[in-house]
This record gives sequence, structure tokens and C-alpha cells, in this order.
Amino acid sequence: MSNVVVLDNGGGLLKAGQGGERNPAVVIPNCLYRPLTSKKFLHPTTTLSSTTEDLTSAAIRRPIDRGYLINPDLQRDIWSHLFTSLLHVTPSSSSLLLTEALFSLPSIQRSTDELVFEDFGFNSLYVADSPSLVHLYEASRRPYGLVSEAQCSLVVDCGFSFTHAAPVFQNFTVNYGVKRIDLGGKALTNYLKELVSYRSVNVMDETFIMDDVKEKLCFVSVDVERDLQVARKRGNDNLFRCTYVLPDGVTHTKGYVKDPEAAQRHRILTDGATPSRAVETKKETDHLEVMEKSEERKRVDLTKNEFDLTNERFLVPEMIFQPADLGMNEAGLAECIVRAVNACHPCLHPVLFQSIILTGGSTLFPRFAERLEKDLRPLVPDDYQVKITTQEDPILGVWRGGSLLASSPEYESMCVTKAEYEELGSARCRRRFFH
Amino acid sequence: MDDENSNPFRRMSSRTRKVAPKMAAALASSDNRTQAALARLEALENDNAGIETIEPNDDDEASLDDDDQAYMQKRSKGTKRKTRQAKALENARKAPRTFLELLHEANLESLPAHVPSYLRAAVGPPSSTSRRHFCSVCGFTANYTCVTCGMRFCSGRCQNIHNDTRCMKFVA
Repeated sequence: MSNVVVLDNGGGLLKAGQGGERNPAVVIPNCLYRPLTSKKFLHPTTTLSSTTEDLTSAAIRRPIDRGYLINPDLQRDIWSHLFTSLLHVTPSSSSLLLTEALFSLPSIQRSTDELVFEDFGFNSLYVADSPSLVHLYEASRRPYGLVSEAQCSLVVDCGFSFTHAAPVFQNFTVNYGVKRIDLGGKALTNYLKELVSYRSVNVMDETFIMDDVKEKLCFVSVDVERDLQVARKRGNDNLFRCTYVLPDGVTHTKGYVKDPEAAQRHRILTDGATPSRAVETKKETDHLEVMEKSEERKRVDLTKNEFDLTNERFLVPEMIFQPADLGMNEAGLAECIVRAVNACHPCLHPVLFQSIILTGGSTLFPRFAERLEKDLRPLVPDDYQVKITTQEDPILGVWRGGSLLASSPEYESMCVTKAEYEELGSARCRRRFFH
Repeated sequence: MDDENSNPFRRMSSRTRKVAPKMAAALASSDNRTQAALARLEALENDNAGIETIEPNDDDEASLDDDDQAYMQKRSKGTKRKTRQAKALENARKAPRTFLELLHEANLESLPAHVPSYLRAAVGPPSSTSRRHFCSVCGFTANYTCVTCGMRFCSGRCQNIHNDTRCMKFVA
């Protein structure tokens, strides 16, 4: 039959490609942006971190807010660019597998359907939710693992707009068990922006640059108390201080980490080693380099377009684990998982705790899984095991699941065709997807 | 409060009972402090910095002149011209609505309690009420609260910075 376009329409990144392939052909930010040099909003052609374009103070328009499609006109614009110039598909002869956030509102579902069938005229449509696709993918990768034998898993999707803990049973998301924290990558970037703007340089307009800072420098602390003490130290004892250089628009149009090695120093603080010893060993090894580095720092400091980060590096991702610290009245990720599991049948509890799958871009912070396990263990009954699996590529995990589903023989029978949509309308077609 | 009345035999410490109504009042009140905190959280979801303005379509800006010309022509012809209010209404209809508006419109509260929905999927308040406080100036553990605005700071030095730069600067 016709080809299937798999589209993981995330709030941050849009992942699209042909069903059956391993990797999506196109991964672009799901937004339009307007750099200072332009008067019009432009379509991103690649992920913006890999362009050489000057993105200083670029304004952004996103069709998706809090994970849900609120601006269909803008989305139509982005999709038509995607289908015609990037993917080169003709919608009328292909089928679309689209991901949608859980618990989408009926009005949003209707506008999505209108977009797919009336504006683009796709042949057929299947709307999937991301947890079940991740489950499908992980189950197929390890046919004899627990996830596929027990046919259930707990998918923790920590994405751009929010974080979901969703139990999946027999390839279906158990919707009464899903729990959500209203914090994702976007909120973390904005929080980092706020901190840096107050403490050193005003970067409130630099969404793309701060995204880059967050991806390169932030990490999850395994022991916050200890790390705060380390971050308080002065000079070279402070393992966390590192400098990010903002673009100046003349010699370089991209910001960069001044000393990438220093940025990685936090990794030597493992649980076993006490901070002081770790520092000493480190000191001996690069005693010579220190002099050069400090010289260099003083020299470049005159330009004043850089800022230091210390405790912000781990206090920003920390918010996912304890949103209460931010003043949000929400439980942290570990508690979120426990509540999601507790909402399911008691027989599933031990299996769910053993098959936690992490997916979504925000789980890419170093040591995310380690910290989660540390937080989760005290909350789980003693006789249950806790096992957390990370995906090899958390950003593409959902898309790969969708690609797998699109190439399965049952796919065709699960779709809603254009004729059915015209006959029955949006609401009744949607019932087929059991959302 | 209903719980307490319905079950007189339930033992509760007097302390929590004293605190809870105050907390509830603080959350429901419209005073500046809570509003500022809520506004801060709300700002975390903004795409661009500053106040999120709902932008009209790109071509609207370009077509301003045309509009003016058309408007002049129309007036000369004596036909009914668009009032500013009508225009604003039309723009409001065209403009994308925020998710919160859509959520409000969907009226999810009216669903029976067992139906899972966006609202019921929220994780809910944490089980422990303890909260760590970080200094709003330097980020380290903060033991003191600003009496004027309620933000936290950790030392006299940070307090001075806070008073100079931030205190009550964003509330009023």
C-alpha cells in the first residue's frame, strides 16, 4: 500500500520520516524563528544547534503550548513546509502516523483532524500516544526481556513541555494511571534564563543560546547537599564553575563553553570518592595547566560577553525532582512514578517498578537515571526491585516506535481513512484509538 | 474543612489545623506575594521573554497601509466602516487562543470523577510539605526570608543585593 509518514509532533522538536526506517529523515524544531537580521519568521531547516546562523535574540513562535496544539494555522505552515520541501511526500497518497499528547482536549483533536484530512488530505490517519510507542520499541528490541514477556512497562517521558509517568499494559497506555508534572525542557531553559539574567548577563531573549547552555552544562546532582558545598568553594577547588562565552556576532556567531574539560570535571565526583580527595587527585594531574588557564581567563575577560555558572548547573535540572522548591505545588518525579504505579492493579506493581523506561530529551542530563533510582528506592517496598532503563536515543525513541508500528501488518486496519472521517466526523473516529 | 466536621473522633494535631486555613487563605488571596509567585511560574512557559503578546499574522503588519487606503476609500464612499472595536473583536477571534483558555472551554470539571482527563492526570501536591529554600541571589541554601516580599536570601551580603535590585521591584 501507500507509504506511511511517521510524524512525532513534539513541542520542541518535530521528528518525521518514512515508516519502516530506523531513523527519521528530518528532525527540526517545531517552530518558526525570526533572527534580528530578518523581518519575517523563517522555517528552520536543521536543528538550530548545528546551523552557523546568528541566532542572537531570535524571536520564536511555537504552534504547541504546554504540549498541546493551540495554533493550527502555524502548524499548517510548518507541516506544509515539511511535507513539500523536506520530506517530498504527497499527502493524498500516503498515510500519517501522528503522535499526540495524552489527554488531548476534544477541541484540539478536532482541529488536528481538520488539519490532517481537510488541509492536507491524507489518505488515512493513526493517532498514537508516545508511551505506547516507546513500549513497543523497547519490547521489540529485547524480545526476551521483561518488558516484552510481561507486556507492561512504566514509561517516563520527560520532554519539552511536560513530564509524564505512564504505565503501559499490552501496548495500551493505562490512562487512569498516568501522572503528569508540568515541567519540561522549556521550563528548565526559562528558569536558567531567569537565573543567569538576574545574576550576570541579561539573556532573557536568548532562547536558543540558553538551550545550548543547558544541554552542554547542566547535569543532575546525585547529592545536592554535598554538591552545594563544593560549589561554594573558591578558585580551582570549585569543580563546577565553568564559563560560557556568548557569541559576539563578529568572530563567532555561536556561543561555546570556554573550557570543555573543566565542564566535565563534575563527573569525577562519584559517590565513592569524597569531594576533597577527588579535588586533590585532580589538582596533582593538571597542576601545570592551571597557570595557563588562569592567565587565559584574565585576558579574555575584558570582552565581558561571558558568564560563569556554578550551582545553577545542577539546581536547574533539580526542579524536576523537587518542583516544590520552585514554589510549584507538585510532587517530584520519584513520587510521580510511585503514584502512577499505585493507580494500577497491585499485581502489576512489582513488574512496573522493574521496567521503568526513560525517554524524552530532558532525560539526557548526565546522571538522570542514577538520581532517579536514588530518589525512588526509599519510596518503593523493600521486596520489589527497581530497574531503570534508559533509551539509547531518548529523543528519537518515540519516532522509532512509530516507525515500527507503521511497518507492522496490522497498521492498515488500525487507521481511520479519509472516507470514514468524512462519514463519521472527528469525534467518532477518535474512539477507534481508545484514547 | 468538611472532613473535620464529618468525623469528630478523628484526632488531628492542633498545629496543622491552625496552619492549614492560613495556607488556604494565602493561596486564595489576591495579594501581591502569591500573585508574583504564580506569575513567575507562569513565565516559565513563555516562548519569548517579556509579556507574551498575541501577534497578528505576519502579513497584517505589511498590509497596514493597504488597510488605511481601503479605509479612506470606504469612508469617501460613505459605506459602513469598521470600528476599532469591531476590528479588535475580529482580531481576537482570529488570534490563537492559549491552552489555558481552551482548557477552560473544554469544561473538564464537569466530567464524573472516574473519567481520566487532563486535570486528573496532574500529579498533585507532594506528600511532604517540607521545602528547600535557595537564595534568590546566589543559589545556596537560604535561611532567611525577606520581610517585605517573601523571597529568600542566605546572608547579609545577599540581603543587600536583594534589597537593592529585586525587592518589591516586580510586585507593585
